[in-house]
Amino acid sequence: MSSFFPLEFAGEQWRLLTGIGVGFFFGFSLERAGFGNARKLAGQFYLNDMAVFKVMFTAVLVSLTGVFSLSAFGLLDLGQIWISPTFIWAQVVAGFVLGIGFVMSGLCPGTSVVSVASGKLDGLVTVLGTFFGVLVFTLLFDKMAWLRSLYSAGSGEVILLNEIFPFTFPALCLIMTVILAALGAFIGAEKLEKIYSKKLGRGPLSPADRPRMKYYVLGPLFLIALAAAFYDAPAVQDPPPRMLVSVEPLSLAERLIAGDGNLHILDMRDAEAYGEKRLPGARLLGDLDSPGEYLERLAEGSTVLLYDQNLAPAEIPGTWPGGLNYLTLRGGFEAWQREVLTPSEAVGGSLEDQEFTRRQNQIAGYFSGTRVQSKAAAPPPPAAGGSKKKKKPAGGC
Amino acid sequence: MKPKNYWNPYLAGVLLGLTLLAAFLVAGQGLGASAAPKRLVALGCESISADWAHSNGSIAKYFEGEGGHPLKNWLVIEVVGVLLGGFIGAVSAGRLKGEVMRGPRISVRGRLIYAFAGGALMGLAAAIGRGCTSGQALSGGGTLAAGGWAFMMMFFGGAYAVAWLVRRQWT
Repeated sequence: MSSFFPLEFAGEQWRLLTGIGVGFFFGFSLERAGFGNARKLAGQFYLNDMAVFKVMFTAVLVSLTGVFSLSAFGLLDLGQIWISPTFIWAQVVAGFVLGIGFVMSGLCPGTSVVSVASGKLDGLVTVLGTFFGVLVFTLLFDKMAWLRSLYSAGSGEVILLNEIFPFTFPALCLIMTVILAALGAFIGAEKLEKIYSKKLGRGPLSPADRPRMKYYVLGPLFLIALAAAFYDAPAVQDPPPRMLVSVEPLSLAERLIAGDGNLHILDMRDAEAYGEKRLPGARLLGDLDSPGEYLERLAEGSTVLLYDQNLAPAEIPGTWPGGLNYLTLRGGFEAWQREVLTPSEAVGGSLEDQEFTRRQNQIAGYFSGTRVQSKAAAPPPPAAGGSKKKKKPAGGC
Repeated sequence: MKPKNYWNPYLAGVLLGLTLLAAFLVAGQGLGASAAPKRLVALGCESISADWAHSNGSIAKYFEGEGGHPLKNWLVIEVVGVLLGGFIGAVSAGRLKGEVMRGPRISVRGRLIYAFAGGALMGLAAAIGRGCTSGQALSGGGTLAAGGWAFMMMFFGGAYAVAWLVRRQWT
């Protein structure tokens, strides 16, 4: 099942074109927030205008709630969107240095573009500085080993924040926690603004600031995340394991004799055991480079039988494709040897039991190459009857 | 014409957040601003020495792939949109004006020196960290990426650490 989002395009050029529209709103919202103005941005660090924190954190919360709620509702495939991989030391150092650059220039790479678009010369100079910094990095990259090792310092894996806790912490629960924390932080930020505006004699550059707005924004976000968390709850469990259907060695034997072309047998044992003795037509699982790919190539509806030395494997590996019938051999290869390859004596007294034993011995003969005559003796007294398909020589009852 | 007021920061944040969400839903990736300079620098290097650019460890990847042109990239197109959106926004709010934004105690020249130095540091940092405030803090933060959150914290940490030293510029 594929999710509706992210959208798929007929060609990469159509996806690229969406950049114009998305970028437009990116630039427009930054401009309306006042982020084309370096003085307003810098206010964040003198505590008289905390707009950077408010805007940025609100945006992060909207995105978090949207992304993870849509994913919980099954509308967005998280695996299909690009999530920044973690190169932790590169990001720690880069974040710190970029923060220093931010308070010096009053802009960041994104807001400097908006600053240029609003005609600000300091924005243009910041952009030129950014090009210079990137050029320095590019020129030094192959020369400085430390720069390369810093650049790739970290695992490079996609690690989500909720995964770093020593306990299970569903993403949506973490997001709700962050929303509540943000509410406290916003209230604190507004208090700081008041205090430092007085000290500096200059308040936020957005006079029509309605602080109540944060409740109207954070409230619905919290409720959406809550609804998604409840909707998601049953789906959080792993899908139930697909169980292998167990077959009796004898019925498998019958099927082999009948010549079932859609039956594919995989031997889970090691190569040595496989080389010694195996089920007719079995392939060694360990020989397949990728069992998943091998199975994908089989016709829909084919039957795959999996067996081990003595235990029957219980679950189908999660990576194996659906659309196939998976079977396992009850009792594994040992049971096959014991029950199919070894001729047995009838233990039951009924005609049915005797017929069964005869058939079994025919099968044993078929696979071992010799015809074995049943040594079935005269029927025991009826009282001993009752075993239906028990065929162990030491049967009894 | 007197410039319009800036928007309420929480409302501006909602529009910015919805834009970021739209980027993920439509294009499958977040917003960014430093990819464009990186790729333009790569293109500039290629025009000077193609061999050097194609073997450089940090930019060679921009030339790979079919029709691999450094500017044929969603983030580059998106920055064109940012210029457009910023311009329309500034014009419609009466804020399009050639000027230098600075505090009352610093000269234009001093302000521009700071701007260039800060820009250079940010360019270097964005290259090291594979993204800037947009790509790491906003887009990484908005998808719960652990590295994006670390970047965001350190970003505020770095800025507050030196804010007092450069206060003459702003206050």
